[in-house]
Amino acid sequence: MLTSSQELSRRGFLRGVGLSGAAICVGLPAFESMFNAGGTAYAAEAGVDPIETRFIFWFNGNGIIEKYWIPLEDGEDFALTPCLTPLARFRQDIHVLSGVDNPAARLPGPGNGHHNSMSGLVAGEMFSGRGAGGASIDQAIAQKIGNNSRFRSLQIGVCQESFGESIQRNMSWAGRDRPLPPEMIPHRLFDRLFGSKEQYWIERKKSILDAVSGEAKDLKKALGRGDQQRLEEYLNSIRSLERSVASLPPEYAQVVEQPPEGGDLKDWPRIAKLQTDLLVHALASRQTRVASYMLTKCQGLSRFPWLGYTYERHHEYTHGRVESPEGQRIMRDINRWHVEEFAYLLGKLKSIPEGSGTLLDHTCALFVHEHAEANSHKNAGLAMIAAGHAGQLKTGRHTRLTGTVGDLYLTLAEEVVGAKLDSFPTADKKLTEIV
Amino acid sequence: MGGHRFQRFIRCVALLAAALGAAFQTASAQDASVDESFFAKSLYPVLHAAQCVRCHGKSGVASETRLAFPRDGASPEQVTAFGLSLALLVDRKNPEQSLLLQKPTRRIKHTGGQRIKPDSDEERALVAWINYLAGLSDEQLQKNRERIAAALPRGERMPTVRRLTHSQYDHTVRDLLGDQIQPASSFPKEDFISGFKNQVEGQGISPLQAEAYGLAAERLARAAFRGGDQRGLVPGQPASPTDAQLAEKFVRQFGLKAFRRPLAENEVRLYRELFLREAGRTQDFYSGATIVVEAMLQSPHFLFRAERGAENAPYEVASRLSYFLWDTMPDAELFQAAERGELASREQVERAARRMLTEARATASLEEFLAQWMRFDRVLGATRDRRRFREFGTELAAAMAEETRRLFNHLVWDDQNFMEFFTADYTFVSSDLARLYGLPAPTEEFARVSYPPDSGRSGVLGHGSFLVLTSKPAETSPTARGLFIRNQFLGHEVPPPPPGVNTVLPAVTENAPLTNRQRLETHLNSEACANCHRLIDPIGLAFEQYNAIGVFQKKLQLQFGGGRGQGNRDRQPTMIELDLDTAGHIQGIENSAFSTPKELGKLLAESPACQKCIVKQLFRYALGREETPQDQPVLESLLVRFRDSGFRFRELIVGLVTSDSFLGAAPPAPSPPAPG
Repeated sequence: MLTSSQELSRRGFLRGVGLSGAAICVGLPAFESMFNAGGTAYAAEAGVDPIETRFIFWFNGNGIIEKYWIPLEDGEDFALTPCLTPLARFRQDIHVLSGVDNPAARLPGPGNGHHNSMSGLVAGEMFSGRGAGGASIDQAIAQKIGNNSRFRSLQIGVCQESFGESIQRNMSWAGRDRPLPPEMIPHRLFDRLFGSKEQYWIERKKSILDAVSGEAKDLKKALGRGDQQRLEEYLNSIRSLERSVASLPPEYAQVVEQPPEGGDLKDWPRIAKLQTDLLVHALASRQTRVASYMLTKCQGLSRFPWLGYTYERHHEYTHGRVESPEGQRIMRDINRWHVEEFAYLLGKLKSIPEGSGTLLDHTCALFVHEHAEANSHKNAGLAMIAAGHAGQLKTGRHTRLTGTVGDLYLTLAEEVVGAKLDSFPTADKKLTEIV
Repeated sequence: MGGHRFQRFIRCVALLAAALGAAFQTASAQDASVDESFFAKSLYPVLHAAQCVRCHGKSGVASETRLAFPRDGASPEQVTAFGLSLALLVDRKNPEQSLLLQKPTRRIKHTGGQRIKPDSDEERALVAWINYLAGLSDEQLQKNRERIAAALPRGERMPTVRRLTHSQYDHTVRDLLGDQIQPASSFPKEDFISGFKNQVEGQGISPLQAEAYGLAAERLARAAFRGGDQRGLVPGQPASPTDAQLAEKFVRQFGLKAFRRPLAENEVRLYRELFLREAGRTQDFYSGATIVVEAMLQSPHFLFRAERGAENAPYEVASRLSYFLWDTMPDAELFQAAERGELASREQVERAARRMLTEARATASLEEFLAQWMRFDRVLGATRDRRRFREFGTELAAAMAEETRRLFNHLVWDDQNFMEFFTADYTFVSSDLARLYGLPAPTEEFARVSYPPDSGRSGVLGHGSFLVLTSKPAETSPTARGLFIRNQFLGHEVPPPPPGVNTVLPAVTENAPLTNRQRLETHLNSEACANCHRLIDPIGLAFEQYNAIGVFQKKLQLQFGGGRGQGNRDRQPTMIELDLDTAGHIQGIENSAFSTPKELGKLLAESPACQKCIVKQLFRYALGREETPQDQPVLESLLVRFRDSGFRFRELIVGLVTSDSFLGAAPPAPSPPAPG
């Protein structure tokens, strides 16, 4: 039973998300405060909680053509390269980075160039032969800042075509060899985030999870060590399920448009935008503070019919005739599409008012590729984009760095996102040029 | 690097150099400063850096030689024991003639090339250790042998928990609930590990997977009792919504099938309470049944196959058999056999297995093995340059997989010599495939057709499936073909290219048309590339007359121009033809020259490595893990049984399911003598 003052706050919330479907115009209350222990929605005093910073780790498969991507000039007066033109209207919201080293990719060990680069890129550790050699940066950050959210972190994906190995399909890793696969289907992601459930359903679900986790605990005790780890992983997953079993007020589902179940599920630009919309809504409604977004897969094999390139697949375009003028243009267009989708994200973040600014003001989004120059699998001198105004990130410039992925992550996590990591593999200094 | 740290680094290097120098100066005699600990401390890291283990590891190309490195994470005792075991490769009278020195420095032929440079610090460390080993007395050597034996890994506890694979999940809910919706098609995909998707190591459960299990359970449970008990899952008519007796009976009966063993009393209590609470709240008996089904489908006892032995052991054997041979849960007959204790002896297990192998479910299950072994996913997902290969599409790819499936099923279920998988002079083709291969049309789709005598095709090596999955969209890849044969048919792992190497071959242009043989010569220009590529490229080069969609072409046909590129629009494409040299050989196998798939097929069929590899592949699929040293006797005896049966695959399966490795650490007791 809601009291009248709670009803008042709740109306405030609804007004905030805009029942008309128009742009959200009032700051949202912290998500977790809208739920009691039973997972039911209840009203909160809106507008009093401090605004949180968010972190988005955005990945694109394969590599780039450096001459079309990396600006020639350093500092504020850099000219946008052909691949970066989609970011023209966000010039003051981004910091283009080049020269980031991925030393773990060059350690001797199993795997091809893509495997090695991917593990080193996301985790700063050597490829294990099966997966990333450690926790990925988004997970390291989520461990520090994700614990009060409904979802400690979200993993979202778009293009599906790949060689099918774990390290190629996943960018988020809970730990060594523990992949966190992305949700690839928009309507399923919608159900997870905004599916409206009755109180009765929530209680029922919780009683089932209670029974199951009790069984898993008992079984774990009866097993050997290796098997215990597997049960422990299942237990952890059940715990995170328990936490997320909840329902937003049904009105919310009316505001956030439900993606259609049908349609062309291989129309990647369309899927990318649907997934981005849901990601932005999830951040705005404070369901999570950390997300990874995998646009194309590591060593990805997508085709690009909307660009007119269908006779080969992404990875083949990065080798073969890539050094010919035609091959260079194809790669330029693919790389530019990656940036276009990132620009769409920035636009969405910027369209949502939060506090005295926008959601983009409280976000740090990091755009990465597994390689610099694609054809040679170059893993030194990576090019990236850090975007948003969370923390102290300097923007509106291009900087050639001398540092590792670890140095960059440590700097962004501690100085920008506000997650005290203390250390990260391959990090031994902070990059003072960017904050 | 900070100044302080750098100084420390320099100091370390200096110390190491001094130690190595000392070792070399007294090379002719045993150095008193070198003791047993020298190996682990000083030489093992050197060998590690030289990457010997990549070929001399458990499944490496050189795994059959006398040098076998311990696995990653070996204990210090195991490393020391390994160091002492190298005495086998030391010539005690002439230490400088030791294989242990001659091979890695490539003073004599070494397939792996020069791993240690003569006159380097690394070599000095090696020499020091060789001298140490050469100087040991007979008595010491004998003692060492005992220590080496003692350090062999043994009694390693094998994982006993396997998660249902996605296909097992779908089949199990089909048999348990009569539901055909195949919920696993929307689960996060499974990864290939050690060649298969069912390996224990890859069977974690991420939060997304747990959520998918939850959604599937909800959907399946609701469908099971939509409109009451349409599928007859409840044993009786409820007297009331909270009929406790019937509820308990349902929990026991359904639980037995879902958990594949009788429920313990505390489990009965848990689910009975869950049932009655929900039924009481809703005043609907079937909503009680629904919540029990939903919960059980998320229980670790359903999702995992945990093996704990004791009174459940016969049920665990039943599950092991059914999930391997049928890819699904046990049927009523198997449950009864478990209940009556009739899966206790090898003879009983064999009888059950032979019965199971006559059922259609066994065909489906073995087809899943084939699909993963032969990587049908890569065939079915293959794409080809549409300008060059218009005839290739999903239907043709599916026909190629079907062709291989037909050959496999013929050999396995008609009890043929399985090595014909490589030598069969016949195949099973659709009319499309017959046209592609230039064969007469079959009498009906996928009927058996013989190759003409002059055909170079034989067995799977001539199938479109193999030829396509090892090609790139626009061209063949001799490297991929050689690698696939090494990995899947010879059981050899070949190390990946070292990091930072440009793996791109020289481009083919109209002015410089090249065959793959010419392009791949770049691999041999660099020692780093050549070490591994000479193991794989010469195998694949013999397939060069079979193009990227499996069509035979006597000469290489290169097409230039006519594409989308600038200035190409008005031009007719030009064709250049090049002669192909298809000589090939398998490095490491004597007298292995061949020049057609047919000749290679014969070599493989006769090769003990290939025969053993088939045993190993089936072992990994059946056990969900890689083989360990303890499994070696089992693998050896399986190979003997396979060979003695004239390579009947069915006998290999029966041998495997009655082996110690399959049945668990404690082999079942021999059956009691027949009464009377």
